[in-house]
Amino acid sequence: MEMLHYDFMQRAFCAGGMIAILASTLGVYLMLRRQALMADMLSHVSLAGVAAGALIGFNPTLAGFITAVLGAMAVEYVRRSYKSYSEISVAIIMIGGMSIAVVLMSLDKHLTRSFSSYLFGTVVAVNGTELLLLAFVTVAGGLFFFLFRRPLYLLAFDEETARTAGVPVDRLTFAFSILTGMIVAAAMPIVGVLLVSSLIVLPAALANRLSRSFTWAIVLSIAIGLTGVFTGLTASYQLSTPPGGTIALVLLVIWLIGTGIHRGWRHFGKKKTEQAQANMQGSANAEGSWLAPEQPL
Amino acid sequence: MEIVTMKDVVFGYGDVPSLVNASLAIRQGEFVALTGPNGASKSTALKLMLGLLKPWGGTVQLTERHPEGRALEIGYVPQQIAAFNSGFPSTVEEFVLSGRYHRSGWLKKLKPEDRRKVEEGLRRVGMWDFRDRRIGELSGGQKQRVCIARTLAQEPDFFVLDEPITGMDKDSRMSFYSLMEEQVRDRGCTVLMVTHNLEEIRGRLDRIIELTKREDGGWKCCTTTSCKGHFAPAG
Repeated sequence: MEMLHYDFMQRAFCAGGMIAILASTLGVYLMLRRQALMADMLSHVSLAGVAAGALIGFNPTLAGFITAVLGAMAVEYVRRSYKSYSEISVAIIMIGGMSIAVVLMSLDKHLTRSFSSYLFGTVVAVNGTELLLLAFVTVAGGLFFFLFRRPLYLLAFDEETARTAGVPVDRLTFAFSILTGMIVAAAMPIVGVLLVSSLIVLPAALANRLSRSFTWAIVLSIAIGLTGVFTGLTASYQLSTPPGGTIALVLLVIWLIGTGIHRGWRHFGKKKTEQAQANMQGSANAEGSWLAPEQPL
Repeated sequence: MEIVTMKDVVFGYGDVPSLVNASLAIRQGEFVALTGPNGASKSTALKLMLGLLKPWGGTVQLTERHPEGRALEIGYVPQQIAAFNSGFPSTVEEFVLSGRYHRSGWLKKLKPEDRRKVEEGLRRVGMWDFRDRRIGELSGGQKQRVCIARTLAQEPDFFVLDEPITGMDKDSRMSFYSLMEEQVRDRGCTVLMVTHNLEEIRGRLDRIIELTKREDGGWKCCTTTSCKGHFAPAG
């Protein structure tokens, strides 16, 4: 624990923990809404803001933040035009963001040198503005996910039934997109454009597979995210490897092991169930009868 | 009192109109079947009534209030809802409980009454013993039952059911019809159901609304047939 004596490592653990909680929760919803690539797209769009900010002398982190939020709003707008092919909206906005970023980068030669820090992240060099922004997003995101957990569940399951059940689908989707932009933009300077989606996708992918209930999927996703971030940071410190890449690699290993154990467990469990069913002539899996109106419950 | 009315509604996909000058009205306390051949825009008509689609022309009016003054609760079961993402991480009980969210309030703590309604819904459809199962692990017919249990737990005033009996055996279908009949008779609910199995249900219905083909290719509402119901509609 010697590493925690260093101020920069304390900040890295603090920032990493906040991102892990936010990104892992967001990931569960994004995956169920089939928008797992949205984080990837927004991080690329945010890059355009970073480039523009640096070019005009505005704080690049804040510029990236604002651009990601605008990108999230734009993707929602385009998504409504391509209802059946919502991934097209992701592709269109990503092309726009990346092309603007590349053009702006080419206008300022000094910019490209600091660009690698945005591509790969600098969790051990988190500055005050980034930490403050992250703390603000963590509070806003935490409140959003807690207060709207019920309508978000309905929205994740099916938009049409959510709408008829009284969920203000358009407003909630819009707010969700803005929050996604905020989380991605706040996480990007720390884990980097290329790795931000690993924190959003991998914990959620494993948690959704392992959990029986929705609440547990979120709890497990956060636990996996925190384990990945803290283990990755420790390994990065010990092995002197880039923190962003190490965190992503640790998360990938956790996903591989978790998926392997789950498959093995299912295979073993299936055999046991088949045996039990054979013994009980299949009655264990049979549903009950409908109750007639006059029958007592 | 009319729950929903459609007047001269025109709607289509792309540039081609499919529903042309469709008009109908569903009254409070009726048990109505909407029928027609495949592709007759039955599901589209339901979505138009619920405001999920906007008509090209004509008017659709869905009342927002129950005659008692409170907000009208709608229980909608879309076509193929049981074919949901099998990876959705939710237990059967959690899923059915989500039907209570609107009634209990988005932010308020769920009450014992909500849990009781969930149990009641699941027991009605014979799925109580499956409450701890993950919904993705169920068969198609079981998922359909769970979706119906969620709608029952919701205690809607207006059931809008798009081919709800898909994947059910005959006994289950008969039980389902009795259940809906009970909702109309005892709770004064309104039931609008898209179905092809008219012969099985005809005697229980107040009306059948049929979508028929026009000479220009579009579909129109509606031949309305009065049925001899087994009960007097409430309301």
